Amino acid sequence: MILVPTHVPEAFVSMYLPSIYAALIVGFIATMAIASKRREIHILILTDVVGFAMIMVVAAVGTDLAEALILPGLVVELAEIMAISEILLSREMHKIEANPHKKLKKSDSLLPMPFDFDLEIMHTSPNFIALLLIAYGIFLTGFTGGAVAGAGLIIYILSRKARGLPAITIAGLGGVSGISWCLWIIGFALLFLVPGYWLIGLLLAACGLLLKVASKIGLIGAIMKEDIDRE
Amino acid sequence: MRISRLWNKLAKPKNIPRLFAFALGILLIVGFVVPFALNIDQIYIRPAPQVQIDDGMSVAPYARGGDILKGPGITLAQFPENSPDLGWINSYLTPLAVWVSSVTPYFGTSICASPGGIIDEILYYTRGFDTILESTILMMAFMIASWLAVNYTANRKNQKDEIKKDVKKAIRDSNKVASEVRINDIKARNKQNRREK
Amino acid sequence: MDFATLGGNLFGTIPFGDIVLYLTPFNLFLFAILLVFTIIIAISNTETQVEATFGSLKNTNVTVGKKEFKQRRILSIICGIASAGAMITGDLFNFTLFMALVGILNIGIVSSVKQVSVLDSAFNYGLIAMMCSLPLFGGAAIILAATGTLSLSILSSMPASPMVIFGAVLILLGVLGESGVAPFFASKAEMFRTAGSPFLVIIHLSSLFIIIRAVEILLLVLL
Repeated sequence: MILVPTHVPEAFVSMYLPSIYAALIVGFIATMAIASKRREIHILILTDVVGFAMIMVVAAVGTDLAEALILPGLVVELAEIMAISEILLSREMHKIEANPHKKLKKSDSLLPMPFDFDLEIMHTSPNFIALLLIAYGIFLTGFTGGAVAGAGLIIYILSRKARGLPAITIAGLGGVSGISWCLWIIGFALLFLVPGYWLIGLLLAACGLLLKVASKIGLIGAIMKEDIDRE
Repeated sequence: MRISRLWNKLAKPKNIPRLFAFALGILLIVGFVVPFALNIDQIYIRPAPQVQIDDGMSVAPYARGGDILKGPGITLAQFPENSPDLGWINSYLTPLAVWVSSVTPYFGTSICASPGGIIDEILYYTRGFDTILESTILMMAFMIASWLAVNYTANRKNQKDEIKKDVKKAIRDSNKVASEVRINDIKARNKQNRREK
Repeated sequence: MDFATLGGNLFGTIPFGDIVLYLTPFNLFLFAILLVFTIIIAISNTETQVEATFGSLKNTNVTVGKKEFKQRRILSIICGIASAGAMITGDLFNFTLFMALVGILNIGIVSSVKQVSVLDSAFNYGLIAMMCSLPLFGGAAIILAATGTLSLSILSSMPASPMVIFGAVLILLGVLGESGVAPFFASKAEMFRTAGSPFLVIIHLSSLFIIIRAVEILLLVLL
């Protein structure tokens, strides 16, 4: 029975070299592809491949710490691609607004297009499915739970939109997200100020994480809903 | 002559990401001549893959010892004085998690029903500051994206006809539901009448 | 190299688990300056740009709307606090995370403008910021693999191996790209060309200070 060894096990040491070389190759291919591509949307997608190489380099260390460091790396990638694609969208819309009849150049491959879909699930029992997903998310807790509960929120918001009903506003979801961030900070502060009450700090941080991820994914739904059914 | 043309190219924002990608790619290739080797004296060491699963531990591969709320687990933190406190946090499982781990040997492969996943407790305590920054980055990205969406890219306040269309759709939908209800009502009544006869 | 040689006497530390904030005169000075600038920016108003119109005698004003003003102010205050935090952090990975936060805030400060050229360069800078995650986090992970620690106080007493040097060069490239130093300056310099001056200054200021701090950290790791 091995709980924690004193040194890094042989398995990780022997795998370090292959994995770091794989990461270097992936990074090289991705960066060279970026250097030779001209279309902006392709470059934006290829930068995610560079992120994969980063995750491989971090994971190659093979300790609990490396596993813990992957999450911030992943989240930074996710956050940046979201903000940047929104900027790209607004830039293209400004361009079209300024000159609606201008022909599109070959290099701007992106056209802000509303997507139009109509799914059976949006009309039949959306509230029940959303409730089920949120309940299951709360059961899971933590990051995964937040993601599942957030998916429930997305379905709820989108289905209301698809049926033409007024949906929840973004302000409310943003408020929940901010409060959960504060919960997290309070939990973190408690862990250091009163280490004896670590359980409260831990649960505050975990619930903050659940609420935060769920509300953020719900926010994506709230942003997306405006584009649904628009021709 | 050549250099001036190069400088002009460098002054276009569009070329900069590609130049940076090129420089990064070259640097990564240089990495192949660097002698890489993993130092075996690491912090937060974990056992080799599959070892704990072969031993049949209920929370494998994240078993780090310790009893829930009774004794701390083993964690090799950066500064040894943090290890006991981190061990307390690391050994904790919610009652739900205890139940799940007792019914299935695969509890460790999911991160369900333990506050934030078993491994995230390092992120909450000793590396908590990282987590705060990470969540702040996510919050800022959402602030930027949602501000743009609300005020510009998805702003529908000026599109009256679309709102009108939505209202029409809602009325149509509710009419449909009402008529379905009426039809079902009639059907049920007919059934009952037949039975009573 | 030791803390005392670079930054002066160590006044004390603020431990947050693994991440220990170091208070030396050098770091505290940078920290205080950034906080003072942040306060000045928080209480100041924006400027209005006046552009001469070509071919006529009229001028056009580029002003900042109230909503835009609020959004930019909060983002630039957070940007100031984040770069102040990067001045005193004592952990390599933590520093790279501060760097990423400052990068995304820099994009955010100009994201609400209407000029297409500014948005274009903000987008291009954002692409660099995304690619920077590989050299920044990857470099820190390579140093972790080579030495077994991320804490600067322990790293500063360790001799540099070729692997540590490679990791440090990766971090340097990441810092160069993220803070827009030559030859990667164009996209970041073009981002400033809009109204709303005091908020735009923090973009400039944060990258300046972060470069100073990055040089200090690289010296600590390498020497």
